Amino acid sequence: MASTTANWEGLTEYGTSAWYTRRALLRAAVFDTRDHRQWTQRPARAAAVLTGVITEMRGDTMVLDGRHGTESVTVSPTTVTWLGARAAPSVLRPGDPVIVKHRPSGGNSSAPRLAERIWARIGRVTGTIVAADGREILVDGGRHDRQPRRVVIATAAKRQIEVRFPRLAPGHLVDVIGTRHSDYLLAVLPATAQPPYHAGHSPVRPLVRGPVPVPVSGSAVWHEPDDEPDDLLGLGYPALDPESGDRSADGGAGCARLPYLSLGSAVRVRNECADRGAVLPVTSDGAMARQFCDRCVRCGTSPKGRVADLTMAAFAELGGNLEDGCFNATLGFP
Amino acid sequence: MNGTGIVGVLREVQIPLLAVLLVCGAAAKAAHTIGARSREAETGPTMIFPLRLRRTTAVGLCAAEFVLGFGMLLTAGRTGAGIPALVVRAATVLLFSTAVGALHVLRDRRPEAGCGCFGELSHAPVSLRTIARTAVLCVAALSSIGVPPLRMPGSAGQAGLALAFIAAEVAALVVLSPEAGEILTRMSHTDPCELREVPLARSFSVLEASAPWRRYRRHLVTARPVDVWREGCWRFMVFPGVLGSRRVEVVFAVYLAGRRAPVRVGMLDMATGVAEVWHAPAADSLQASKRVYEKANTKE
Repeated sequence: MASTTANWEGLTEYGTSAWYTRRALLRAAVFDTRDHRQWTQRPARAAAVLTGVITEMRGDTMVLDGRHGTESVTVSPTTVTWLGARAAPSVLRPGDPVIVKHRPSGGNSSAPRLAERIWARIGRVTGTIVAADGREILVDGGRHDRQPRRVVIATAAKRQIEVRFPRLAPGHLVDVIGTRHSDYLLAVLPATAQPPYHAGHSPVRPLVRGPVPVPVSGSAVWHEPDDEPDDLLGLGYPALDPESGDRSADGGAGCARLPYLSLGSAVRVRNECADRGAVLPVTSDGAMARQFCDRCVRCGTSPKGRVADLTMAAFAELGGNLEDGCFNATLGFP
Repeated sequence: MNGTGIVGVLREVQIPLLAVLLVCGAAAKAAHTIGARSREAETGPTMIFPLRLRRTTAVGLCAAEFVLGFGMLLTAGRTGAGIPALVVRAATVLLFSTAVGALHVLRDRRPEAGCGCFGELSHAPVSLRTIARTAVLCVAALSSIGVPPLRMPGSAGQAGLALAFIAAEVAALVVLSPEAGEILTRMSHTDPCELREVPLARSFSVLEASAPWRRYRRHLVTARPVDVWREGCWRFMVFPGVLGSRRVEVVFAVYLAGRRAPVRVGMLDMATGVAEVWHAPAADSLQASKRVYEKANTKE
């Protein structure tokens, strides 16, 4: 578990996680917050999730090469494997990037971990369609420093995706889940239903009287790591302070009414479907989450709007199934 | 004025009222359509149509309201009297009677959908009030059929009566319109501070006018903050400083609401190489500060 702060010399580089952790300390210097520890003590690594690339399949053991070195995971007949669809673990091959949800090892890193779920090559593209040609679309993910992503809709999934996304045309929004390949995503599942409005034209936000009701409920989704570490525990937050310069001008105002925060702020995210929660740092701008006014219906019907765009590791750590695309979430704030 | 005359005035005022409502409704729909860049509006009776027909239906409905609204005005006098006036008014009856049925179906099939009658203002789910309003307008359009060409009132009493009828009918329509409440709410609404965009310059102005700033300014070594961030209603600004022989960071927290927003201050001592927090209490006295925070570890 991370301590409440770090050496001062290590805190001076703007934009580092230590810098953001220091903000909690500075905040505690102003407000005599007795509960500052629960907001600063964030898990540095996931306790129940591993990410990496398969280097070897050895009987019932899968060897991964991750950011923290080589890790072994035991695969059993009860392990649920996903590679574009539910599959047997035998479909996994060396070279496949995977994210593994396992039973917590209880702090003993040498103890074998039993994999509960394995997602191989899973990816997601959320954004605005900029070009479409048959089963191929180009999707702008809202990052100006990134090229549009190429998405190929799997033949078997074409009808299913077109039912949920009837307008696969430039200017409309899309959100699909599939398998990652060298330069494209093979879409196999719609992650939601297509909004009836064009990108950047989400409906007028509901008015709020008095303080924002806390906790805030809505839909929590996930995004691919992009340039983040693939095991990062954090979230893209849809209501970054526009004055801080961290927020993209695109994406509209967003559907959910959330208090303005900055990068590094701590948010308590709770998965209502799995009854699991954690305090996570805001690590990116949830520009795409602002575009969608959908609901999550994994366990009951959530209020409209995406309240968090979690990293893959955080989504799985909180008990979410990546192929579901979302879970019903509540957010709490310091 | 006898009873026939009073009824005649009541029927006459329906024409300008209907014309204004039709044109306003069409303008609001058009604005909503342009704002959303999508004619497959997510509200209104077009939702009961298949997806491929929604665009055409929405455009057709908007255009029909414009044409009928202006048509009512153009045929109100002697110029359009006779068949043109009859056609326009009959078409208006047809429009509103169809709308009554469509709203009823919409309420059954898509209970969460708004009527879209006045664009984005009409996002509240269709209720019996909404249907009753459309029925009233249908009756009003029906009563306008056969009204002779409009002319200026013959007496002050007749003009007063016409104005009274207009006021009463507008009041009745307001009571039946969920949009009226929405307009009043929007006019009187201000977001709570945690949802309000507040320019950084305003926070600096508040800070520079505050007592904590005047007291601690001399200890700061830079004029610009090294870090600024926001958490809900508070904006934090951090300045490096020197207090005695100690390197410190002074953090100001500016509340983002109110004319005389509170400003709080705290201090972080960095001389020892590890972060230690020194609280500056609300009384805002460095001398009263005490070390209350544990020595933080450097381990992750």
